[in-house]
Amino acid sequence: MAKTPIANTIRRLRFDADEMTQQQLAERIGVTRQTVNAIELGKYSPSLEVAFRIAAVFEVPLEQVFSYHGEDPSKR
Amino acid sequence: MSFREKSAWISLISILLVSVFFFLHVPWSLRPSTSPELVHALLVCAIALVVIEGVAHLVVARRAPLDARAPKDERERLIDLKAVRASHYVYLAGSLASVSTLHIGANGVAIGYGVLLAFVVAGVVNNAAKIVYHRRGV
Repeated sequence: MAKTPIANTIRRLRFDADEMTQQQLAERIGVTRQTVNAIELGKYSPSLEVAFRIAAVFEVPLEQVFSYHGEDPSKR
Repeated sequence: MSFREKSAWISLISILLVSVFFFLHVPWSLRPSTSPELVHALLVCAIALVVIEGVAHLVVARRAPLDARAPKDERERLIDLKAVRASHYVYLAGSLASVSTLHIGANGVAIGYGVLLAFVVAGVVNNAAKIVYHRRGV
C-alpha cells in the first residue's frame, strides 16, 4: 500500500521533546503505540482530532507537524 | 506485533484449522440423510473453534495485558471496518452462488455446505485483510 501524501515531523518533534517515546506520545493523544508508529511512517493519516492533539502535545502549530505533498487539487 | 494483529492471526489460523478438518471429515455424500451428521460435525467444530480461539487469546493477553485491555483506537476501528467490507462481499457472493445452484438441481445439504464455505472464506478474508492493513497501512 502506498504511503499517504501527508508527511510529518513527529520523529524530530519527539527527539526535541527530550526523546519522548512513541508509547508516551500514544498515551497522551489516546491512541496505541502502533498507530503512532504508522503515522510516523506515513502508513496512516490520522483524523483531524488526533492531528490537533499531536500538535498540542508538542505545543506547535498543526502545519509544523503535518504537510501535504500530494497532487494539487486546483490542477485537476 | 500488536495484540489486535496477533488476534487476527489467531482467528485466521483457528478458522483454517477447524474448517479444513470439517470439510475433510464431513460426509461427502450429500443426501438429506446425512444432515444429522452435518449438524453433529458443525457443533463439534464450533466448540473446537471457540476453545482454540479462547485459549490462544488468553495466552497472548496474559503476555501483554495492557495492550489487550486497551480500547480500539481510530486506526484499529478503520481496519475492522475495511476488513468487514471486504469479507461482506465475499460472503454475499458465495451465499448467492450457493443458493443459485438450486436451479441446477442442488439439494438442501449441498446448498448448506456452500453457504457454510462462503462463511468460512469470508472469515478468512476478514482476518487476512486485518493482517494486511496492520502490516502495510490503511
